[in-house]
Amino acid sequence: MPELRRSARGPTRAAYPHARRLAVPLTALALLAGGCGNSPSTLRPHSRPAREIADLWWWMLAAAAVVFLGAIVMLALSWWRRGRPGLPVFGDRDDIARRLVVLFGVLVPLVVLIALFVVADALVVKDTGAPARGSTAMTIEVTGRQWFWTVRYPGTRAITANEIHIPANTRINIVARTADVIHSFWVPQLNRKIDMIPGLSNRVLLYANQIGRYRGQCSEFCGLEHANMAFDVDAETPAAFRAWLHREAAPATPPATPAQKAGADVFMNDQCASCHTIRGTSARGLVGPDLTHLGSRRTLAALTIPNRLSELREWIRDPQHVKPGNKMPGLNLAPRDLDAVARYLEGLK
Amino acid sequence: MSTAASPGARLHRGRLDRVWTERPGVLGWLTTTDHKKIAALYLFTSLLFFGAGGVEALLIRTQLIGPGLHVLSPAAYDQVFTMHGITMIFLFVIPMTTGAFGNYLVPLMIGARDMAFPRLNAFSFWAYAASGIFLYIGLAAGVGPNAGWFNYVPLASKAFSPGHNIDFYALGLILNGISSTAAAINFIVTIFKLRAPGMSLNRMPLFCYAFLAVSFALVFALPALTLCLVLLELDRMLGFHFYDVAQGGLPLLWQHLFWIFGHPEVYIIILPAFGIATSIIPTFARRRMVAFPLVALGEVLVAFLGFGVWAHHMFAVGLSTIATIYFAAASLIIVIPSGMQLFAWIITILTGKPVFKTPLLFIIGFIVFFIIGGLTGIMVAAIPFDQQVTDTYFIVAHFHFVIFGAAVFPILGGLYYWFPKVTGRMYHERAGKISFWITFAGTTLTFFPMHIVGLLGMPRRQWTYHSGLGWDIYNLLESLGSYLLTAGLLLIAANLIYSRFRGAPAGPDPWGGDTLEWSTTSPPPAYNYAVIPKVSSPYAMWDKEDREEDARRLERGERVLEGGHETPASTVLDAEWDETLDMVSDSPHPILLALALALSFGARLLGHWTLALGLLALGALVLFSWHSVEPEEG
Amino acid sequence: MSASANLPAALRRSPPRGWWGALLLVATETMLFAGLIATYLYLEFSSKRWPPLGVEKPSVALPLILTGVLVLTAVPVFRAAGAGLRGRLGEATGMLALAFALQAGYLAVQIILYRSDLHKFSPKGSAYGSIYFTMLAVDHAHVIVGLLLDLGLLYRLRHGLSRYRVNALRVVALYWAFVGLASIAVVFTQVSPSL
Repeated sequence: MPELRRSARGPTRAAYPHARRLAVPLTALALLAGGCGNSPSTLRPHSRPAREIADLWWWMLAAAAVVFLGAIVMLALSWWRRGRPGLPVFGDRDDIARRLVVLFGVLVPLVVLIALFVVADALVVKDTGAPARGSTAMTIEVTGRQWFWTVRYPGTRAITANEIHIPANTRINIVARTADVIHSFWVPQLNRKIDMIPGLSNRVLLYANQIGRYRGQCSEFCGLEHANMAFDVDAETPAAFRAWLHREAAPATPPATPAQKAGADVFMNDQCASCHTIRGTSARGLVGPDLTHLGSRRTLAALTIPNRLSELREWIRDPQHVKPGNKMPGLNLAPRDLDAVARYLEGLK
Repeated sequence: MSTAASPGARLHRGRLDRVWTERPGVLGWLTTTDHKKIAALYLFTSLLFFGAGGVEALLIRTQLIGPGLHVLSPAAYDQVFTMHGITMIFLFVIPMTTGAFGNYLVPLMIGARDMAFPRLNAFSFWAYAASGIFLYIGLAAGVGPNAGWFNYVPLASKAFSPGHNIDFYALGLILNGISSTAAAINFIVTIFKLRAPGMSLNRMPLFCYAFLAVSFALVFALPALTLCLVLLELDRMLGFHFYDVAQGGLPLLWQHLFWIFGHPEVYIIILPAFGIATSIIPTFARRRMVAFPLVALGEVLVAFLGFGVWAHHMFAVGLSTIATIYFAAASLIIVIPSGMQLFAWIITILTGKPVFKTPLLFIIGFIVFFIIGGLTGIMVAAIPFDQQVTDTYFIVAHFHFVIFGAAVFPILGGLYYWFPKVTGRMYHERAGKISFWITFAGTTLTFFPMHIVGLLGMPRRQWTYHSGLGWDIYNLLESLGSYLLTAGLLLIAANLIYSRFRGAPAGPDPWGGDTLEWSTTSPPPAYNYAVIPKVSSPYAMWDKEDREEDARRLERGERVLEGGHETPASTVLDAEWDETLDMVSDSPHPILLALALALSFGARLLGHWTLALGLLALGALVLFSWHSVEPEEG
Repeated sequence: MSASANLPAALRRSPPRGWWGALLLVATETMLFAGLIATYLYLEFSSKRWPPLGVEKPSVALPLILTGVLVLTAVPVFRAAGAGLRGRLGEATGMLALAFALQAGYLAVQIILYRSDLHKFSPKGSAYGSIYFTMLAVDHAHVIVGLLLDLGLLYRLRHGLSRYRVNALRVVALYWAFVGLASIAVVFTQVSPSL
């Protein structure tokens, strides 16, 4: 698979001080905290809710490590003292043993659980719930489809797929819906996931405290290409975002070169237009993603392959080879038509 | 004891042998009602499915050993991972624990000669075997279930899964559920009514408490599964709209019904394992369980509380905050009865004089894995954290530590522990210990990195993944771990198969065990006990006077019940002798009924409704002639 | 020990295992009905109109009266069981036959109602129709099973009473008590939109 990800810009080490503060002694976890720069890791949070969840994790891990080590010590002791009955210090007394069971099995857990419940389920949960009405600056509607994402910006004509551009440091209300089966909208670095359920409009806060690109992925099994149903969140400066939105809302660029014109003809007259929309043309299909500004996207087929002419051509030629099971059929276009369509789409900046 | 062949004992044993011996040969196996033979059928059938589920696991891990591989197509991968889950849960762990261990040991531990309903018991097995074959016919035909073991709609509805894949799933699991319900009812009545006189409820081994709790959980949980499956098939086959949002149906209805079954199911999976642990620990720790009543209470409470937590599988679907908080709190409360049991096990080992033989090693492995799986379980009761990691590999890690670590490890330990009882021969101890360490290392290596890769954002059920996301190394480790784990399991199999033929003779009680089964010969005779045992504590085998009394009674011919297939029935609480039961003998009815049901389901799957109804009527006829010769009592 | 095998069934200190088995079967069936009714209510609470547009509200009187009749048949069934325990074959057979006749009549009328409902609206038309017809079908299926049990038992009673048949009478009584209670729950759910 080709390399798709660029590093999210911004500081890396300073983003997770708890890893160092708690100095978790397990090598695996040190690796985890160091992570690799491209990983959509829940432990490299870039928003307040994601940060709180990551903090919660580190605290829970620390408490869990204490419990685990305590139990291991007891088991090790039992091996050490295998020839001697009874407890160290207390000797062989059933009443003491019973009380220890109550202490470790009931009383200690009770205290820990109450603390966890208050922190996680009463406090942190407030920040990961659906954002209060009016607390967000804008709304974006994301619709999951087998197997891509349609992204709408209400109040504008902009419709795109698999790339969600947002202004950084802005509270955004995501309305998550599905057009077919259950999907789940999840950007690990920005917030918890939210399922997309037929008949429901679930909402979740999207917020990025830094300019950068954050990978998201469907996390409810949704059929054959569940694995290739990813998307990017591009957090930009407000100015860059406004410019992008303005471009995205505009109708498609008319074909300029002869090849592009030929490609547009093939597109409109062959089956392409029955599934895809290109705003400003006669193509108004609703099955596949909106292609109005396909040329400006970085990837094809929900982050499956990069959006370059050669890959685009290969994708149109045999979509089932690239992403087996997806709903786009191979159209058996003549090589020249294939190239023309690819060039036309590439030009839709 | 009581192998001493005095003339009196020989006479009575000879009579009992004549009364209880079943038809030999294949026909004997097909018609058997002996709980030990049925347990053997369960054992080998579930091991077969364990092998199938294991091959599926290896296929999954091989497909995911590196990014962008094409070992399996997405369509094949979906069937393989779905069948892996279904197989391990419905066709391996539950049949293995309740079917094999429960069937073999519950009657022995309570001093009975069979289950309360021997033919129903045989029917449970045949229906289970039929359900497994049914599901695998689907897979073999290339239309195996492919929407995951929890099979969410609308992905599983006709619109998105037009093939027969989901019909195999739904009908197969309904059949499986019928089998489990029958088995559960049988266990409860057996434990309620067939305990040896004197074994009042407070003198019952903890193993039996676990099975009692599991059986009640099954009785009350399975209807929810059956219901959601029936509604699904009505949607799929007849065009009803239970789950179709366009006509007023609700996709979340499936999730609620499924998890109302599905969470108790988790405890149904691990409680028998707890039961096995509570059998092995006192024997090898050489002391009675610390806090026996708390452990018994814990087993029952876990099964009970398991019914109030289903929606913690649904924290990401957008339920109201109040509802999620309730379910989180309820989930946290379950930690208490689990913690009581956990520390009772540990402190029993600590305060005893433990002998670290292979079975105890597996139980210690189980304790370690149960702690890890339990701790991650507590973590996912923190709603925001669950909303972050649910449906990722973190959850896959969590439930594999619980299911493989905390359910399968006791099964493996239990196989070693009762191997001498069942076969009359000892396994190879050194190979056993080595097999433990390989299995332990393999399990850790396979499942521990899944926590990390889940936290790194890898969703579950992906047929492939891109490189460069930080997931590659962990997936590689997991796959290598799965090969190591396979090696460990194969070593266990080799050890047991070799020892079955070459092992040293074991004698009736090689471990100094605490429960009744160690008082009879290895393997036990068809009638289990020549004398209905006397019981005055939960550690019947450690009450030497009682066992000597049994031997004297055999000599005198007291409490031998050799007039027919007889076993005593006792009162529910105090286990006072109530009446002598005349047990039914072997019969072709169970297998015929299971066959009629399975064929009827097959006909329904193919749309032959008349044939399906006809076969059901045939089943009803079999039921009608079930007791064509009436037992002398009920 | 064979002495205890000949004890009259009534002298047993706890119910026979068959009765316990039936009780547990009834318990699992109770969960099935609870699930159906919960499904009904969940679908109802999640809908804007219940029943949906174009489906008339269910009639109340006839289903309630019918269910009353079904519940009353528990009386002869239990009397049959009591007579069996006391060794009165004639009374047991007569009472069971009476119950069978009433239950069969109940079922016949219910099937007529069911068919007439099917002419008015379809289980394929809406989630309401789906749960309405499914819930009633499950209830009626339980009555059919009960009738088969009655028949099988009447057939066995030709040859007189035995401990086995007395136990069977008790089991059948338990079953009909359950079906009566389940039908009450179902019928109130069924007519609830009209109440």
